[in-house]
Amino acid sequence: MTGNPLWPHLATIVKIVDETPDVKTFRVVLDDPGARENFRHRPGQVALLSVFGQGEATISISSSPTRRDYLEFSVRRVGRLTGALHQFEEGYKIGLRGPYGNGFPLEELRGRDLLFVGGGIGLAPLRSLINYVLDRRDDFGSVEIVYGARSVADLCFKEELFTVWPKAPGVRVYTTIDRPEYGWDGHVGFVPAYLAELAPSGAGRYALICGPPIMIRLVLQELAGLGFPPERIVTTLELKMKCGIGKCGRCNIGSTMVCTEGPVFNLARLQALPPEY
Amino acid sequence: MSVTTLTAGVMSREDLARLLAGPASEGQLTAPVRVAPEVVLFVPVRDPDAITLDYVNSTVPPKEYLFPRAEKILGWRGSGPQPELVLPPEPQPLVLFGVRPCDLRAITVLEPVFGGPYPDLYWRRRRELTTIVGLGCTEPGPYCFCVAWGISPVAAPEADLMLTPLEPPAAGGYLVAVQSAKGEELLRRSGVGLEAAGTEPGVLRERRAAELTARFRRLIDPTGVERAAERLFEHPYWRELARRCLGCGICTFLCPTCHCFNVIDRTAPDGSGGRYRCWDSCLFERFTLQASGHNPRPTRAERLRNRLLHKLSYHRTRYGLEGCTGCGRCVAACPVNIDIAEVVADLKGLMT
Ligand code: SF4
Ligand code: FES
Repeated sequence: MTGNPLWPHLATIVKIVDETPDVKTFRVVLDDPGARENFRHRPGQVALLSVFGQGEATISISSSPTRRDYLEFSVRRVGRLTGALHQFEEGYKIGLRGPYGNGFPLEELRGRDLLFVGGGIGLAPLRSLINYVLDRRDDFGSVEIVYGARSVADLCFKEELFTVWPKAPGVRVYTTIDRPEYGWDGHVGFVPAYLAELAPSGAGRYALICGPPIMIRLVLQELAGLGFPPERIVTTLELKMKCGIGKCGRCNIGSTMVCTEGPVFNLARLQALPPEY
Repeated sequence: MSVTTLTAGVMSREDLARLLAGPASEGQLTAPVRVAPEVVLFVPVRDPDAITLDYVNSTVPPKEYLFPRAEKILGWRGSGPQPELVLPPEPQPLVLFGVRPCDLRAITVLEPVFGGPYPDLYWRRRRELTTIVGLGCTEPGPYCFCVAWGISPVAAPEADLMLTPLEPPAAGGYLVAVQSAKGEELLRRSGVGLEAAGTEPGVLRERRAAELTARFRRLIDPTGVERAAERLFEHPYWRELARRCLGCGICTFLCPTCHCFNVIDRTAPDGSGGRYRCWDSCLFERFTLQASGHNPRPTRAERLRNRLLHKLSYHRTRYGLEGCTGCGRCVAACPVNIDIAEVVADLKGLMT
């Protein structure tokens, strides 16, 4: 059914990476060459993944659109559908539709210094933008990445985090875990506290944050103290979505539909919304 | 929206049976039938005599013929690793007779939801295959307040054929406005001819509308109520009102403009299956409950506020259209008398 926005494309899983005990990254390729060609996303956008028989889930696209041979989705096992997906093997097929949502404001970010602040699986949407920035390195200023998880095992994208990103020009990566651990000589402590220690200046810089709600709340306070104005603090919301296209009525905050007008908001816009997210 | 009337003329009461005879014999007619003393439903009708014309409005709106309660949107064979997708069954052509102006307006209210940048092909296909015969009202019901939303109780542009009863009770025949090619086709195939109306059709309709409007008992003026979304969002009013809400969702299931849905997969023992979209309600706790356990609308107060402000404000902000049509069904059916017309008056009172 072409032109039917609720009709998923079939996609084949070509690679599965175990990120953490409960997160796997699925690299998929759309079966139909035309669909592959037409699928153009922006970092920060989402797609709906189908496990036929289990339904659909909204998952942010964690790969960068600059890498066009595949799409990647980092999925935490939280329920029935994601549990079933975690049982899948390479070669299995899923359904995929999208991309949906606004994505990060690339035009606005061009030429700017960027501070990424992530917690746990919250690094997934940021990763798409980080790799985009690294693939278009000259278009952006400096990049700092502050990322934390409960434990070493819970850190996502370890290879990029420890090997690829720190080597990229003009990139600094600061990783922390919540509690001390044998063999870890890096920083220990929560992300907001680490951020306070690092104290990056808000002058001219954009902050892009994603993580658990409590982390986001505390990080927002820190950033305000560091001189980041609300317009330059950007975050992504995760609301329950069923359709992704503004019809099922599930993801609204007042008259705003997160699936079509979000999930990326700057703090100024977020503060203008009714407090219902 | 302006009414495009291709032709208008008068037909007799007897002609109505002729108009519907063809679709009825072909199994394509859906019309109001009194299925229990207090219950009128739109159901498939083979014998036009089964149709009732004596109803204020149907108990359940005819919305479900364009947006079914449960609709298969996709199927597959061989689930698991190698599924093959299959099309859902194609809907059948339909003549929907007897739709009231409030429920006709609801179609316009829903159009931008199912249209827009991601057009919903299921809705659109049913719209294409359905010929709608609208029927103007002869008496407002105790809960009706369509006129408050600028709806004429006797005419509506959404119908393919709009029938306006000429004398109460509808014994004197109908003024028929042909408003689309589909309407014209239905009329042509039935062989019913329209006679010239003695008076200009527009004038006739206005006169009937004015007579009826004078008989409405629920008079509200919703002007400006949409501002409650900004001004009263955190007012204790909502918690107070929601104290008696049961969260049963009846109001949403009877609303001609509610469109929330859930998507559910069903699998047969052989691994084949289908994806269905089913009506859902923003009044249910699980509607917005996230896998993490977080719920942005955790109590009935947030949920009832969402439903009411969606009707009275959000829809208008998004699409420039009022979300309520004044059909009064939610008011009549709510077990604890939560009354959207009263809510309008309350909110306006709180804002003055
Ligand atoms: S019908 Fe009444 S009680 Fe039931 S959910 Fe609606 S407002 Fe609440
Ligand atoms: S997910 Fe359906 S309206 Fe946003």
